[in-house]
Amino acid sequence: MILDFVEVDNFRNLSGKIFWGPGLNIIHGDNGQGKTNWLEAIHLLSRTKSFRTQRLQETIRFGQDSAFVAGRVSSGDDLQRDLRVTLKENTKSIAVNGKREQLTRYLGQLQVFSFTADQLDVVRGMPEARRHFIDRGVASLRPAYVRTVSDYNRVIKQKNRILQDNLEHNRSLVELQDLLAPWNQQLVQLAAEIHEARVDYTERLNNELERSLFEPAELHIRYSSSLDGKGDLSNYEGLLNERLQLRLPAEAAAGRALLGPHRDDLAVHLAGRELRVFGSSGQQRSALLLLDLAAISVYNSWHDDRPLFLVDDVDAELDENRIRRLLEYLEGRTQTFITTSKRSHVEGFISRANVYEIAAGQAVQPELNRSTFSAVAAND
Amino acid sequence: MLEYAEPVTKLIDELKRLPGIGHKSAQRLAFHIMRTPENELDRLLTAVRDVKQRIVLCSVCNNLTEIDPCRICASTSRDHSVICVVEEPHSMVAVEKTRSFKGVYHVLHGSLSPMRHIGPNELHLANLLPRLKPENNDGVEVSEVILATNPTTEGEATANYIGRLLKPLGLLVTRIAMGMPVGSDLEYVDEVTMDKALSNRREI
Repeated sequence: MILDFVEVDNFRNLSGKIFWGPGLNIIHGDNGQGKTNWLEAIHLLSRTKSFRTQRLQETIRFGQDSAFVAGRVSSGDDLQRDLRVTLKENTKSIAVNGKREQLTRYLGQLQVFSFTADQLDVVRGMPEARRHFIDRGVASLRPAYVRTVSDYNRVIKQKNRILQDNLEHNRSLVELQDLLAPWNQQLVQLAAEIHEARVDYTERLNNELERSLFEPAELHIRYSSSLDGKGDLSNYEGLLNERLQLRLPAEAAAGRALLGPHRDDLAVHLAGRELRVFGSSGQQRSALLLLDLAAISVYNSWHDDRPLFLVDDVDAELDENRIRRLLEYLEGRTQTFITTSKRSHVEGFISRANVYEIAAGQAVQPELNRSTFSAVAAND
Repeated sequence: MLEYAEPVTKLIDELKRLPGIGHKSAQRLAFHIMRTPENELDRLLTAVRDVKQRIVLCSVCNNLTEIDPCRICASTSRDHSVICVVEEPHSMVAVEKTRSFKGVYHVLHGSLSPMRHIGPNELHLANLLPRLKPENNDGVEVSEVILATNPTTEGEATANYIGRLLKPLGLLVTRIAMGMPVGSDLEYVDEVTMDKALSNRREI
């Protein structure tokens, strides 16, 4: 799919319309001019959410009561759809071709993968961020998976409440087991589904991973189940049931659910060492990019369609060499949007890309300003 | 500081206690009530009072009823060997609408939810097990219990719980199927339902 244009009104400091190129789009400008806001607008159009804030109200320009982001998506040979997200006070409405649409049917019309600062937890933070990364990937292939995960989380919450309350009641283990049984039964089914989906997805990522795009050291990933080494994982349901029996006293003592995929992790190693602990900032960023690129490839081969790739602040912690390799890799593969404040870092690509100069939220179109570009370049 | 005269504020506050009624709706209802002629209002008040005074729970199935046991439990044309367990009286109405179910019901008035402090003891379950004995069921042996709780994690847990309770008794315990709504186009079914329908497919 290709995003032809985006039109924005009163979204943060943006207003106006930008026509995008089908390949590499470079959004350039000084700090605070609104480069990232354009990426955020595209992200909003895709997911109806922001990658910066949970409160969409904040994104409406100060003093205005509504904002919208609209865009045209082309897919296949000749299929075009107009998407539109309108924000008004604390409500959000979404439309396709001018007609209101349900969220479940809207999502997926424009598929976006994004590399943004809030994603860095995947390579730097706690396991939760990595589980989210895999879950988002699985959901990009099978949207129904989202429900499996939310049902699982709800079962865990209910189970935790029973275990928490039990810390005060101190029931016998038999009584406690009776109370937990109807929840554990569901937990095991949902856990098995999640485990299988995540292992499968990790396998797909592994097959697509460009291990040494940025440096000779190889990146390796492995799904790390909390049940590793506890028995036969090929009979996951049986093993989890067995462990739940065995660890009931421990769960009772802890007052929360100790077993299941909410305790799993994705092991990420660079040159055999744990990236989160031993990797430099640059190596961590590069690894996250590799994971994103792999996720895009997996999506591509599953759906036979190319998603968009948003890269915020491409020059942060990435040297020119790595940026060049990244952009060369992306060229001809997927419609890409990158922001940068350092023009010199992308200089080599300017002739092959669409470059947008952003100042005070407004963009100058590439066709219109070729001369301006050379003038700017001459002044540099 | 009071926004309105005290009786009005009081009425708004009471209306706000109702489920699904926020401040704005409560205000609108209150003003509607104030504009309503007194004789019309009396009808509403009587209806509210009557529902409290005349409606009881059926001692057999916990359904809402004016006469105990309820019409369905008292009916001789119903099949008393099949019991359909539902969460709420309105779920029972939904099953009744099919007109194809000839058995009887058991209404739980809720589903298990530890987060809302609803455990097995908070459900109307105590009178289910005794019903299964022929001597408490006009000599009829119960052959099947259908678990028609909602397809939510709470409904599923409730079905699991009752299933565990009944399985040792040796009778048939079934769970209603989940999947495609009938009469709709495949295109309009959401992914989750489609996914469930696919995994619960049957041979023809």
